[in-house]
Amino acid sequence: MRLIFQKLLNGIAIGSVYALFALGYTIVFSILRVINFAHGAVFTVGTYLTYALTGAAFGRNGQLRNASLPVELNFWLALVLGALGAGVIGVIVERLAFRPLRRRGSDPLLTLVSSLGVAIAVVNILQYLFGAENYSFGETLGSMRASVTVVGGELPVVVRTKQIVIFVVSMVMVVALTFLVNRTRTGKGLRAVAEDLTTARLLGIDTDRLIRLSFFISGVLGGIAGALIGLAGSFNYQFGVAIGLKGLAVIVLGGLGDIPGAVVGGLVIGVAEAFVPAEYNAYKDAVPFVVLLVVLLVRPQGILGRAQVQKV
Amino acid sequence: MLDFLNSQGTIYVSMVLGGVLGLSLYLPLLAGQLSLASPGFYALGGFVAAVLSTRTFDVEGTYPVHLVLVEFVVAAVLCGVLAFVVGLAALRLTGIYLALATIAFVEVLRVFTLNLELTGGAVGIFAIPQPFGTQLSYLWLAGPLLIAAALFTWRLEKVRVGRAFAAVREDELAAASMGVDTTRAKITAFVLGGVLAGLAGVIAAHQINTWSHRQASFDASIAYLAFVLIGGSRTFLGPVAGGLFLTYLPEWLREQAKHEFLPTWAAEFLRTGRFIIYGVLLAASCVFFPRGLITPEFLARIKRIGRGGGRPRGQDVRQPEPETVA
Amino acid sequence: MTAALEVNALTRRFGGVTAVDGVSFAVNPGEVFGVIGPNGAGKTTLFNLVTGITPPTSGTLLHDGADITTARPHQVARRGIARTFQNIRLFSELSALENVMIGRHCHTRSGLFSGVLGLGPAGAEERAVRKRAIELLALMGLASRAEVKARNLPYGDQRRLEIARALALEPKVLLLDEPAAGMNPAEKTALSDFMRRLRADFDLTLLIIEHHVPLVMGLCDRIAVLDFGRLIALGDPETVRRDPAVVEAYLGEEG
Repeated sequence: MRLIFQKLLNGIAIGSVYALFALGYTIVFSILRVINFAHGAVFTVGTYLTYALTGAAFGRNGQLRNASLPVELNFWLALVLGALGAGVIGVIVERLAFRPLRRRGSDPLLTLVSSLGVAIAVVNILQYLFGAENYSFGETLGSMRASVTVVGGELPVVVRTKQIVIFVVSMVMVVALTFLVNRTRTGKGLRAVAEDLTTARLLGIDTDRLIRLSFFISGVLGGIAGALIGLAGSFNYQFGVAIGLKGLAVIVLGGLGDIPGAVVGGLVIGVAEAFVPAEYNAYKDAVPFVVLLVVLLVRPQGILGRAQVQKV
Repeated sequence: MLDFLNSQGTIYVSMVLGGVLGLSLYLPLLAGQLSLASPGFYALGGFVAAVLSTRTFDVEGTYPVHLVLVEFVVAAVLCGVLAFVVGLAALRLTGIYLALATIAFVEVLRVFTLNLELTGGAVGIFAIPQPFGTQLSYLWLAGPLLIAAALFTWRLEKVRVGRAFAAVREDELAAASMGVDTTRAKITAFVLGGVLAGLAGVIAAHQINTWSHRQASFDASIAYLAFVLIGGSRTFLGPVAGGLFLTYLPEWLREQAKHEFLPTWAAEFLRTGRFIIYGVLLAASCVFFPRGLITPEFLARIKRIGRGGGRPRGQDVRQPEPETVA
Repeated sequence: MTAALEVNALTRRFGGVTAVDGVSFAVNPGEVFGVIGPNGAGKTTLFNLVTGITPPTSGTLLHDGADITTARPHQVARRGIARTFQNIRLFSELSALENVMIGRHCHTRSGLFSGVLGLGPAGAEERAVRKRAIELLALMGLASRAEVKARNLPYGDQRRLEIARALALEPKVLLLDEPAAGMNPAEKTALSDFMRRLRADFDLTLLIIEHHVPLVMGLCDRIAVLDFGRLIALGDPETVRRDPAVVEAYLGEEG
């Protein structure tokens, strides 16, 4: 019983980061009906930015070996700035890979591949600059306890403080985003654009600005998610790709373009991964993809999505 | 001279296989299915060769070519069956959903081969016997495969079944209303692509000498996608050219890195930055050449130049080309 | 005399909407049968049901006495029921000739390998298909545009191409969904004559969805009137024209 509870907590912790990451996909998809494959790359850039801002030095292998910024910020401040930086990168990606294709009314698949190209280029630029090695954030929690015991006794159920922090930050961001989308004027604009781009434009809504904004928000969320995951473990230039693919499973499960769906999907996959029995640990990575396959074959619109009806 | 060719042999064989793999993506695309599943079948084919040659066939010395042909048959059957199942399951999926499903398929296959003892687990299978003494000799297998595949595809597009594929690609509903069994068309196209990728895998496994789960990678999916999208998605020559050229490109870059006058950072970039270039090329191709470099129009222009120039025969209202992948 | 097409209590529901509601009628062989009704009356849905694109919620469909209720679109086509679409659905990237050649698909048999390798009868079959397709294009006045991509053709040519493609199927029943859309009065008259010749030359049964009432009145042997998915009148043009229910639902708006 305790084991189940422990696993559940682990699952929720990692699931909340998946959710946070997946939200970046969701925002762009809900507006443009395109999957931004560059999201994983932006997420990685944000993490590296945060790392750099904490004043840490880069390793021995990249072009910028042993370099470090002359600043040494507190992790949380670095995270915020790094995330903002990631947001800016997101907007640049939009300008380069999305806007020219949108202007020409291109097929979403083409835009997907274009964003994929950008992702590959960016991630490998990171490798070129910073090498292939793993980085980690070190001890940043200072005087806080390393873990909290939820249920005591012989086999305690323990939650690492980092996990709590991750969960809380993720949930705060989700709430903030939901508030933005549902309760603010900008959010209304976003929803209008998501509903029908052309009509929104005809109504005088500055769709280009809102699209840029959604990419910015998407990048910020990615940057935060990346720094949080990096905090929990380590990171390298490729970790955006792996989580990028997982994120796809999350959004398809929850329903493409659905904000609460991303949260539900993230938590479900996080928990599913946590409950993989130890003997099959090596198969854990396959879980999101098996889920993805099952969803696509059985109910492509996901848990919360609506089935698409084709008009003849 | 022969030495030089032999050292270059590996890259030539890889180039030719690249062309084959480009076609393996082009075939499902003919029926409108953007499938990223080829690396899965490629890996499966390679494992068939690896397992059969290291465990089943007990051979001393040079590995006989006729056994490679047996491996071809086994790989074709296995890949065909698997592709049939996957194709059937993915029938209702289109566009993004189909692409995602094929990505997931490859990942699941990779994790399974990573963990199975039969496929050598994390290390994979090594010391795969060689049917040939030199790398260049593998062209005896790879060359005919590419030529046969290219000719097959070229002919396919001109006959009834190929037309049916095109109809399904253009408008599945209308195709069905005109009597085309769309299910059969899509699955056939998918199986053709899977089998072709599997055959390429058989050759590659022997050529590279080791094989592991790493062959079923998302990166490989991207590479083959690049062959088709950059090479040309509208004619069979596109993926062939894309496969040949884009496989050669990193080698060429590595050679250029040896020039003395280059600063170290530039040389390093040329050596290890090939994926950066891939990525940029892929994105640029989508933005500037949505149909790839080799298009039917381009080929027509070459033909006209060959015949002595002149403008294209008049056509009616010229609509701008729609920008689609499939 | 077996009905060419028989529709029995055909119903189709989409969630809360009943698009077609218990429609029943029988079409006689060789008839020109019109289907009219206000927008949203369920006419195209009816065609979709007949051609197997949409499965019915209840009811049955018979073609020459055989049950085709659960037949899928390509099976319906193979039985000799062809159609054109309200919003033209040509194979845009293919040439006019190739579009029509596809219509011959279910009457030809060369498979994957026999076709590619050109074995046996495949070569002769291919030539025959091409020949027939050119004949049909010529019939529709499109012979000179055979190699033009479908999407580069002007609207009128596209409509004609769609008909040529449908005829390539060698249908016994041809469903035309608003064939006169976008035509001027002179063209509509020409279309009317053309339809009669088509019926005679190809021995067809025609079902036509049309908005332009005079065209339908002048051309059709019998007319079915749909409103909100239900059949509210069925009979020859004069009878239908005078039916009060029809006048109220539809003709009243036209005056």
